[in-house]
Amino acid sequence: MKTQAAVLWEVGQDWRIEELDLDDPHEGEVLVRLTASGLCHSDEHVRVGDLPFAGYPVIGGHEGAGIVEKVGHNVTTVGEGDHVVLSWVPACGRCSWCANGHQNLCDEGADVAVGLQRDGTARHHVRGHDARLMCLIGTFSPYTTVRESSVIKIKNDIPLDKAALVGCGVTTGWGTAVYGAGVKPGDTVVVLGIGGIGANAIQGARIAGATKILAVDPAEFNREQAKRFGATHTFASAAQAREALPDLTRGQMANSALVTVGVVTGEILVDALSVVGKAGTVALTSLGSVVPSQTAVPLFEITAFQKRIQGALFGNANPRFDVPKLLELYKQGDLLLDELVTRTYTLDQINQGYEDMRAHRNVRGLIRYT
Amino acid sequence: MRTRAAILRTPGDWEITELTLDEPGPGEVRIRFGAAGMCHSDEHVRTGDSVVRLPMVGGHEGAGVVEAVGDTVTRVQVGDHVVCSFIPVCGTCRYCATGRQNLCNFGAQMLTGQLKGGGFRFHDDAGEDLGGMCMLGTFAQRAVVAQESCVKIDKDIPFDVAALVGCGVPTGWGTAVYAAGVRPGDTVVIFGAGGVGTNAVQGARYAGARHVIVVDPVEFKRDTALKFGATHVFADADAAQETVVDLTRGQLADHAICTIGRLESSVVTQAAAIVGKGGQVTITSVGRSGDNQIQLAANGAVVGWQRRIQGHIFGMCNPLYDIPRLLRLYREGQLMLDELITHRYRLDEINQGYQDLNDGKLIRGVIIHE
Repeated sequence: MKTQAAVLWEVGQDWRIEELDLDDPHEGEVLVRLTASGLCHSDEHVRVGDLPFAGYPVIGGHEGAGIVEKVGHNVTTVGEGDHVVLSWVPACGRCSWCANGHQNLCDEGADVAVGLQRDGTARHHVRGHDARLMCLIGTFSPYTTVRESSVIKIKNDIPLDKAALVGCGVTTGWGTAVYGAGVKPGDTVVVLGIGGIGANAIQGARIAGATKILAVDPAEFNREQAKRFGATHTFASAAQAREALPDLTRGQMANSALVTVGVVTGEILVDALSVVGKAGTVALTSLGSVVPSQTAVPLFEITAFQKRIQGALFGNANPRFDVPKLLELYKQGDLLLDELVTRTYTLDQINQGYEDMRAHRNVRGLIRYT
Repeated sequence: MRTRAAILRTPGDWEITELTLDEPGPGEVRIRFGAAGMCHSDEHVRTGDSVVRLPMVGGHEGAGVVEAVGDTVTRVQVGDHVVCSFIPVCGTCRYCATGRQNLCNFGAQMLTGQLKGGGFRFHDDAGEDLGGMCMLGTFAQRAVVAQESCVKIDKDIPFDVAALVGCGVPTGWGTAVYAAGVRPGDTVVIFGAGGVGTNAVQGARYAGARHVIVVDPVEFKRDTALKFGATHVFADADAAQETVVDLTRGQLADHAICTIGRLESSVVTQAAAIVGKGGQVTITSVGRSGDNQIQLAANGAVVGWQRRIQGHIFGMCNPLYDIPRLLRLYREGQLMLDELITHRYRLDEINQGYQDLNDGKLIRGVIIHE
């Protein structure tokens, strides 16, 4: 079929809207008509080259939800008409990681920056070139053909535009607090960076029972947003938060720091280590440059105060468990999703959407296809 | 297709008969079994301790060759060697998605043997339908099972040892490693050193237990336990209790594990008494359906000493992870499996085999299919 997609032809260019030739699903694949796609920072990382892809062109977008239009042979977990969230990391359900409750580390995730189907071929073609898919899903298009392992069935009574955000940003932020840091009732938590991920890290910390949630962001708009999601204190810098913490915690400092800034650097990691106390955890979700940081990390302090740096990928969540669960929390009114979407765009307006993100005008931008 | 099988129509002896076997439907495979383990759970069915849908083809430990596959089968191919997992693993339900494959929702029909497509694949000459024990029925030369029950293995692993890794070995190993969570330096008391308990001994030893103390009235089993890593063996709990007090300077054991053939409340009481403050009693055995096998004074025995009673199935193992892993340990010479098999039987010797089991003559009996 013919449709449209936002395509990156090479690193550093803008997204370009192109006509897309989309093939029907082959064995084990699913064709999804998308309702909405989130504008997540990881696509920006691909655009600027922080996240190198195996080849180009690449169809961007890795947060989406929609309705199954067609299924290929041997597809058993979804059928035509099912409502689905596309998970940015596939969950095959069979590899050793899936078997042990680490679906976020599914072996099929090795292909997220390769972007081809399981047999190594493409279903997406642009101007005669095979196009790769961001995170194997490529949601910057009203239609996409993906592996069954990328598709998670959800209940039909959840608004699909809100559900789209749970395919990456919401779950990543929530899980950073709940699983990555393991926030406990009564904890003091510092969240560094309040965008689409940080706002949800605040929600995760709040629902996990944190009593003090300190949001740190230089942008006033983001600090204001943080309060809506449950931050109890806001600061423009980590240094200000560090100054306030001894009073707030009787000198114990924070139990955990969640790093959810747009682009992480060694300095930010050092900031995060400096706000947690003994046995504190720094959960590191943000991506930075693939070039190793040269920043000196206070090694003595990590050992002497038993501090822990915990990497968090997709919030260390299990998509097939956590995506439906978070949507139930939304239905119940505990998890805020509507409030995340600051502006909506058409596919044509995608570069404006990213400009707004870079200018801190959005918690989350959303492309609507319907 | 016709197959010989050992079946139960009512609690009593196993009946050897010929059955008709359907072709595999969608998602199903036909297996020609090389070997089947004679596990105590089938004996619980024979005696009526466990209530299942009858008539039933017995056997839930088996390994063999895939002879035919139905539509939409992707996990295995014709010619593959497989172990049947005692519980199927769908890979997508909330339990599979969180690393608890042993609780997979697909296992809901384990006591009827009905497959997902509906109905039963075994039929007798009177036209009656039979399910397979645990949706398997390995006491048949051939069976049609769900692909979710199959775990592919290397072709050079003998079927008789492979069969045991479908239930008894991971159940025992996992009892110590996962369900109890034995830590280096722990003192562990294991009640009952049969096919499951002997593997709990191996698991506890691997997990670094300092003392692995076995209580079993049968001398042959005590002698075997010593070969598998037990440090002390006793014929009765009183003698064990005295030694545990000495060995632990009065702190008592960290763990008691109940792997006796048939759970009685007296053994649970002995197990609770032999663990100290914060200790855990892990219950693997089942008793007579309808009886109350746990009769403890909550105040002192449980609350006051902060003891934990932990039930589990399959040793909390994840079949898709632990079955291949245990076979890898076996191949490396780290896990003793050959030594578990006391006697091999033909299918028509099955009642003799279970007589030997009840007489305490077996660690494991295995049926070698023709």
